[in-house]
Amino acid sequence: MTRKTRRLWIVIACLACISSAAALTLRAFSSNIVFFMAPSQVKAHPPAPDRTIRLGGMVMAGSLHRITENGAPVNSFNVTDGQAAVEVHYTGILPDLFREGQSVVALGTVQKDGGFTASEVLAKHDETYMPKEVAEELKRTGKWDPRFGKAPDAASWDTMTAKKAGG
Amino acid sequence: MMHLPNHWPYIAAAYGLTIGCSLVLGIGAALRLRRAKTRLAAVESQLRHRESSAS
Amino acid sequence: MRPTPNLLHRYANPGQFLRLARALQPWLSTGAIIFLTVGIVWGLFFAPADWQQGETVRIMYVHVPMAWLASSCYLGLAICGLLSLVWRHPLADLAAIEIGPVGACAAALCLITGSLWGQPMWGTWWVWDARLTSVLVLFFLYLGHIALIRAFDEPARGQRAAAILALAGAIDLPIIKFSVQWWNTLHQPDSITLTGAPTMSMTMLWPLLITTIGFTLGVAAVIFARLSAAIHESRTRQLMARSRLNRSDRSAA
Repeated sequence: MTRKTRRLWIVIACLACISSAAALTLRAFSSNIVFFMAPSQVKAHPPAPDRTIRLGGMVMAGSLHRITENGAPVNSFNVTDGQAAVEVHYTGILPDLFREGQSVVALGTVQKDGGFTASEVLAKHDETYMPKEVAEELKRTGKWDPRFGKAPDAASWDTMTAKKAGG
Repeated sequence: MMHLPNHWPYIAAAYGLTIGCSLVLGIGAALRLRRAKTRLAAVESQLRHRESSAS
Repeated sequence: MRPTPNLLHRYANPGQFLRLARALQPWLSTGAIIFLTVGIVWGLFFAPADWQQGETVRIMYVHVPMAWLASSCYLGLAICGLLSLVWRHPLADLAAIEIGPVGACAAALCLITGSLWGQPMWGTWWVWDARLTSVLVLFFLYLGHIALIRAFDEPARGQRAAAILALAGAIDLPIIKFSVQWWNTLHQPDSITLTGAPTMSMTMLWPLLITTIGFTLGVAAVIFARLSAAIHESRTRQLMARSRLNRSDRSAA
């Protein structure tokens, strides 16, 4: 074996060791790396009432109620993952992207009655990028309602241009 | 018409920073290459001159 | 000159590399300028606003190329590390010194533009989700590499250590890529994948492709110029050292 091939094998062996170590570590910590819990997980294993968790899911259509209390906006809405829903209460201004059908991540605690009191609400947008004229057109023709879920398959609209959609 | 947020300051900052950094890197590299070339040429000619005068 | 045995060693010769760089340089830089001008004007003024993000989606046309370049420059560092450790390729260490700061710039810009995008859209400058954290780790790997390769008085030792760091840190690249699939994150999954159709309108995909090509050509031009400059500088140093040696020989005699 030449010195070059020996060095190559040493490097390959070291890389294999490091990658398996990294893979094992990530597997072991995977529940901590998860950024948020889904409503069905929260319902199945409710965390302790004093523990701050992140709850992620879609804002259920028709569930948003806003009232103003002492000059501060108080919002309540249901967050769902399709299997379970959790009612979230949040006092404060919601992010611009917040709407029914939008994915959100709320930071807060689960109350004894099963509700969720959020101290912070973040909007999570999906990987669909669509000109707003195309979205309007899909809504107008009844092909898609953003309040009830993800956009249809990209192949059906990705060549629609603003002009075609508007006309 | 749905509500569409407008955040031009953020867009301008992102583009400004990216274009600024690219220009600094690009111009810096070009200047450095030119300086390195002229310096090498100067040293080479100086050495050649000294060798011819020494021999 | 010795015959060049294969592709790997052909450009090990700095003279050969300089010739290649000189031939490619004008194409790379003009290409970069044309693609970037077209792509940035298109992205900033002509691409449509997104249905949910509005105008802010335009940050994508600089953010995505920076993310792509940050990862590919690190892949470049890792390949240089391999070439340097196994084949003792003489240009690999020089290239690693020059690629490091460029990649670090791309990683920093990726983080900053992402932050400028996250604040208006998500409602936060920063979250510790898997995607953002793994890119931050990449930035620190770059900083570590830059520091390590210059840390020793004897350059070869720093270069050896930096090559090992570059190779070990390459583990972060698949973690960045797949973080949005393996774990739930605030960052959305990739819109452009090798396996499926892009979930993006063509009217947005074109300017994105053009700016990505433009920034890639630009970074290639910058790296070639920096590496050529480094070769010239090291030759100058060698000549100066040799002349000093000759002079001291003469004065001793």
